[in-house]
Amino acid sequence: MGDAVDHTPPLRLEGVSISVPDGDGRRVLLDAVDLQVETGEVVAITGASGSGKSTLLAVAGLLRRADAGEVHLAGTPTATLDERRRTRLRRRHVAIVYQSANLLPTLTAVEQLQLVAHIGGRRGPGPRREAERLLAELDMGHRRDALPAHLSGGERQRVGIARALMARPSVLLADEPTASLDPEMAAQVAALLAAEARRHELATIIVTHDAAPLGHADRRLHLRAGELRAGAVELAG
Amino acid sequence: MFFALRDLRRAWRRFVLVGLVVALVSVLSTVLGGLANGLVDDGISGLRALPLTHLAFEPGSQAVFSRSTLTEEQLRPWREVPGTEASPLGVTFVNAKSEQGGPSIDLALFGVPDDSFLAEPGEVRRVVGGEPGLVLAAELEAEGVEVGDRYELSGSGVTLPVAGFTDAGSYGHVPIAFTSLDTWRATMYGEDHRGRFSAIAVRTDDPGALAAVDRAAGTETTTKVEAYDGSPGYSAEMATMTLIRGFLLAISALIVGAFFTVLTVQRTRQIGLLKAMGASTGYVLRDGLGQLAIVVVVATVTGALLGTAIVAALQGGEVPVALSLGSVVTSAVVLAVTGVAGSLVAFRRIARIEPAVALGVES
Repeated sequence: MGDAVDHTPPLRLEGVSISVPDGDGRRVLLDAVDLQVETGEVVAITGASGSGKSTLLAVAGLLRRADAGEVHLAGTPTATLDERRRTRLRRRHVAIVYQSANLLPTLTAVEQLQLVAHIGGRRGPGPRREAERLLAELDMGHRRDALPAHLSGGERQRVGIARALMARPSVLLADEPTASLDPEMAAQVAALLAAEARRHELATIIVTHDAAPLGHADRRLHLRAGELRAGAVELAG
Repeated sequence: MFFALRDLRRAWRRFVLVGLVVALVSVLSTVLGGLANGLVDDGISGLRALPLTHLAFEPGSQAVFSRSTLTEEQLRPWREVPGTEASPLGVTFVNAKSEQGGPSIDLALFGVPDDSFLAEPGEVRRVVGGEPGLVLAAELEAEGVEVGDRYELSGSGVTLPVAGFTDAGSYGHVPIAFTSLDTWRATMYGEDHRGRFSAIAVRTDDPGALAAVDRAAGTETTTKVEAYDGSPGYSAEMATMTLIRGFLLAISALIVGAFFTVLTVQRTRQIGLLKAMGASTGYVLRDGLGQLAIVVVVATVTGALLGTAIVAALQGGEVPVALSLGSVVTSAVVLAVTGVAGSLVAFRRIARIEPAVALGVES
């Protein structure tokens, strides 16, 4: 017999439901959503503003709890875990790329990455070297000591991607990563994000308004009225 | 502290205002501490310097010398206690008028017998055992009083020469003048002194025995420190100083607390981001609290150094101030701890911030 192969998907959502207060009633954002993302797979999710795309990412990344359903992260069911364990699991397995990079304004590019290692308990010169290597791989080596205010939108997003990779995650979540970029830069960042996700074998979800990431996705889903359906609507860009 | 230290270094302007306020509070606290020490010195330094452990007063006099009159009869039981030294002590405030036409001076006149343990070898022992005269607190020599000057103690008709100076200190904000107990009695009562004096100075290793002696002698004993309260104005001054310093500490805690709360609100998204990156609430708290602690400690130390310089510059002038390293350090530590404690009000707010705010998602 050969070696046993672990087929546990890094991320699996099972019947996840979320509703939010809306006037006198409640609005359903996610209605018994099922989603499984495999290692190295890039899934793009489209949907209108307010359709619950970011909420889906928040639930998948253990940033918030679902009203019902289960999120399996790296094979671990998380619904009943306390906050401390959810935080630990998130730290080990999840990284997020944000819409406008969401960099800390007083840290240089390389320090943004070092902070991830520091939070994860990695100290010493190793993380600094790793951060510099990651930035160099994303063509940002020459900007490693620049503060976010001195970086262009595309450069900030590259640092944001490098920061996510620094966490050595198994799941990568990207929230409108190209929304604040011009079309040319958006195309570059989308291609880079998908390539890095595949190179690092990350289960990746990209939620987007923008057409740029769609061409790089293995699967396209559309979120509407709380339901995830295959295919993506036509998007500008 | 990875983020906190870099954030502090690169965004230091954000902390200037709160640092300035804490530093000013620290300056005020240190100067007030110096003033309090000065007032203590002015009020009781003479009593503090006497080699006694307790004072026995007339019952009900509340350690106020002018309200207490004792007799030789009451002294007797005290002298019979083994391991205890007891000495009569006369204390009164007098105005002394210069016979040379110089300015008159207020004195706290302390009368002690020549065999008393209070009259330690030196100027005081020499004078109380010899011709009637006054040994004045050294500060009066700096004001121009000279040995040989003669002063009439107002209301008594007694005129005494200045026989010397010693580091007697002051009592009730008035320089102390030592004289013999006989001269004190002559000044206080004239011929009809009937062996009276103000209080009994006690030096003992066995305070437990004093209650029984009190009962036998008809006296009321206080410790030396308790007797400080009998110095005119001492309790009120100390209470005022304590109140002001308490207010300063409360103000500091409020300011730091309010600042940290506002900072936390401003940083809600950043804190959410840190949590989304896997930082625990404890990590975020340590970072924020550590950052603020650095600001508070640096501001407090800076303020304390500046305050110390001000107190040093004021020393020897009209304002009664005194420097005490212990007092400065204690005041600074209490201020820093209170300031940091003030920031605890933001703890719950930080703990409640959800990582989902990093994605702009409200729970």
